[in-house]
Amino acid sequence: MIQLNGIEVRFGDFTALKDINIHVKEGQFYTFLGPSGCGKTTTLRTITGFIEPAAGTVMVKGKDITHVPVERRNIGMVFQNYALFPTMSVYENIAFGMRVKKVNKTDIDRRVKEMALKVDLTEQQLSRKVAELSGGQQQRVAIARALVNNPEIICLDEPLSNLDAKLRVQLREELKEMQAKFGITTVYVTHDQEEALTLSDCIAVFNKGFIEQIGTPNEIYSASKTEFVCNFIGDINKLTPKVVQAIAQQTGRALNPEAATYIRLERIYVNHSDASRAAFQARVIGAEYFGLYIKYLLEMDGQTLKCIDKNDGRQYLKKGDAVEVSINPADLMVY
Amino acid sequence: MQATKLPLKTRIARMTPAQLALSCVMTAVFVWFIMACMILPIANLLKTVFFEGGKLSLDAFQKLIKSPRAMKALRNSFILAPTLSLTVGFVGISLVLITEYFDIKGAKILRLGYLTTLIYGGVTLVSGYKFIYSNTGVLTNLLASVFPNMNRNWFTGYWAVLFVMTFSCTSNHMIFLRNAMRAVDFQTVEAARNMGASQWYILRRVVLPVLLPSLFAVTILTFITGLCAMSAPLLVGGKDFQTINPMIKQFADMTTTSAKSLSATLSLVLGLATMLLLAIMTFIEKRGHYMSVSKVKTKIVKQKINNPVVNVLVHIYAYALFVIYVIPVVLIVLFSFSDSAHIQLRQLDFSTFSLKNYAELLSKTTAYKPFVVSIVYSALAAVIVGMLVVIACRYIQKHKNGAAATTLEYSLMLPWLLPSTLIALSLILAFNQSRWYMFNQPLVATLWLLLIGYVIIKLPFTMRMTKAAFFSLDNALEDAAKNMGAGEVYTFRRVIFPVLLPTVMAIAALNFNSLLTDYDMSAFLHHPANPTLGVKIKSLTEEMGNSSDGVALTFVYAVLMMIISSIVLYLVYGRGGRESIKE
Repeated sequence: MIQLNGIEVRFGDFTALKDINIHVKEGQFYTFLGPSGCGKTTTLRTITGFIEPAAGTVMVKGKDITHVPVERRNIGMVFQNYALFPTMSVYENIAFGMRVKKVNKTDIDRRVKEMALKVDLTEQQLSRKVAELSGGQQQRVAIARALVNNPEIICLDEPLSNLDAKLRVQLREELKEMQAKFGITTVYVTHDQEEALTLSDCIAVFNKGFIEQIGTPNEIYSASKTEFVCNFIGDINKLTPKVVQAIAQQTGRALNPEAATYIRLERIYVNHSDASRAAFQARVIGAEYFGLYIKYLLEMDGQTLKCIDKNDGRQYLKKGDAVEVSINPADLMVY
Repeated sequence: MQATKLPLKTRIARMTPAQLALSCVMTAVFVWFIMACMILPIANLLKTVFFEGGKLSLDAFQKLIKSPRAMKALRNSFILAPTLSLTVGFVGISLVLITEYFDIKGAKILRLGYLTTLIYGGVTLVSGYKFIYSNTGVLTNLLASVFPNMNRNWFTGYWAVLFVMTFSCTSNHMIFLRNAMRAVDFQTVEAARNMGASQWYILRRVVLPVLLPSLFAVTILTFITGLCAMSAPLLVGGKDFQTINPMIKQFADMTTTSAKSLSATLSLVLGLATMLLLAIMTFIEKRGHYMSVSKVKTKIVKQKINNPVVNVLVHIYAYALFVIYVIPVVLIVLFSFSDSAHIQLRQLDFSTFSLKNYAELLSKTTAYKPFVVSIVYSALAAVIVGMLVVIACRYIQKHKNGAAATTLEYSLMLPWLLPSTLIALSLILAFNQSRWYMFNQPLVATLWLLLIGYVIIKLPFTMRMTKAAFFSLDNALEDAAKNMGAGEVYTFRRVIFPVLLPTVMAIAALNFNSLLTDYDMSAFLHHPANPTLGVKIKSLTEEMGNSSDGVALTFVYAVLMMIISSIVLYLVYGRGGRESIKE
């Protein structure tokens, strides 16, 4: 559906994107993930046409649109702050694109009302000014406005970043449902790894204008290809050479103690030994209560280790308690 | 947004024929306006000064040095400007402290009184003061009844000008310094108190330092106002205290080339002084303002003056200032309903009150014509300057950092560096003959010249405000419109302009308001058969004491001005006001 081939974007002397190659399949929910300033929004704006690349091509359905002006691309976009026109009502905002295209009034009215229904906006809300709506309603207007013109692709630039935590989770779910309902190819930009993992079919992790890894959420999380991805996604422990050597000795696995070796928090077993794992004696030095789970801070062989334990009603561990920690070498990520 | 800037050729190639035609027309209009109305007239003025007789010479400056009148005017201006800065600074700071910082009884009423200069200024205000303090004024009559041998012409010269201007120039303090005071984080005051600081120490070491950048800026504006003083020296300066601007006007009105050259030289000196002061102000502005670093800022809580004696003295001072500010306004309003005989005697008799003066203004052509002339000129200038600046700002926003956009911006800001008398004089000197760049039409003594002058002097203020509004716009709005297929013009017409419209209208209203009673520019450029309100009020005020009918008319003009100004200010800053302008 969308193909970016060797995209390079420069702002003066600064190269913002270098050799970006992406292939988004039809109907896919594709996420650009990365820290601030990594080039994810620049890539999105290159697809929508706000930025013209210095090199490379943007193809949609096999057609080169690299130099097609933004207004002729028919790619819907939801902006970070929604960019709803404050002087217009909700209805006028949604109808804007059709009025530009001089669609007749009856069709505009029908399509606006249909779209409002699909995104759960009432008729009364249509006549309101956008400033009178809540954050969640504004997001729905922005999505309706982007979708009403029947675009082939919809691009969303961190649309949840300005919302509070609870609303963010709620709207994330709504967004996923909506995408499934409309079946539209979606390109989504976020710096929030949880958002990327829960929403996406495919994720491209950006770093300093390059793509570090492209893969499914599980591939990105469980089989991070680079140290950057491994560190950026989720919470993680970096093991000391001494611990790595001990794991190698106990399990007979060939491990290089000098290599950067990581293990995710949930892959550390506490008081749950198994023959296939390396076992260590540790002591609890701190605990954080999260409700759903408890995060422990352990001291083991001179290494501080973080791990989590499900809050299943058992009495949780206290500072100073001695515990047995076991690690499966198959869970290690080595770089 | 273009990651790498496209060459001009490519940009032109991508334009539709309509866009290309529009761009060409707009470019032609701006180039013509800037060159023909601003650059070439100023170049002509420089030529008058430096190329007398076709050769480069500094004779004009020698003539200036040899002219005792001109030198006296220069000296007077440079005496008035610093002393005025001090007196206005003192009164201005006290007004802000009285209304915003100290707990003074009746502060809201006092604030209204101190704000009267916003609705009543310039030549109208001077006429009000003259009515009270002149040789036949209300106060003079009162004093003469107690001290029969007193000199009735006591209110004239330097001190009279300084007094009138001190109380007419505090508007900037009431706007800018008051805003700065409101930005003080009260937690810093509480923190200082918590550490044992006294009230006076907190004011001196915590509060006033936060106000300093704004104070510097308004002081320089006051200094420039003092240098460019026009109506106050003309009306109350007398023979002994004339400043540069009235002198420029006098020389410009003479027919000799030498006098015109002297006038141009004086205006150039004034222009250089203004440029220097504005450069200092820009430097101060660049040093920035103090910002509260608090996560949650707390509003100032009014401070009770602990010392009872100081408290009483401050209250007396506050109300004395209130009387000085309010008395002229009250008397003007009351006397505007009085008959000629009582105005002549400066006596109030409520039994003689009527709407006769108002009816006369509406029925007599000579009376209402200046009013209509000023309204038409001010409205036209406000609309034209608004349109020009909106188009220019749009171009600057779209092509920021481009050479053409930067040139356009600096050209439109140029009048900020030049006193209005210099601009007026340059227009007179340039257009007292036909010029090819003005389609071979001499403009002096036509209706056009004043309109051009008004548009030029309002460009910098309009540019600063409109540009700020443009640059505070969320770029995503434009992107969103384009994303939905809207073209450049459609996006501007349907999305950008409606968002900016309240600000643009508010700026136009403020421009209209300030042009309505303009005297400085009108005095030079008005059409002889169509005097503006400022010119008319000035001539009527000069007759004060000879013709009571004229004085009555001045009062009616002043009252109507105050009503119009109050409405405009209410629309801009009041309940229906716009946040962008308030900020």
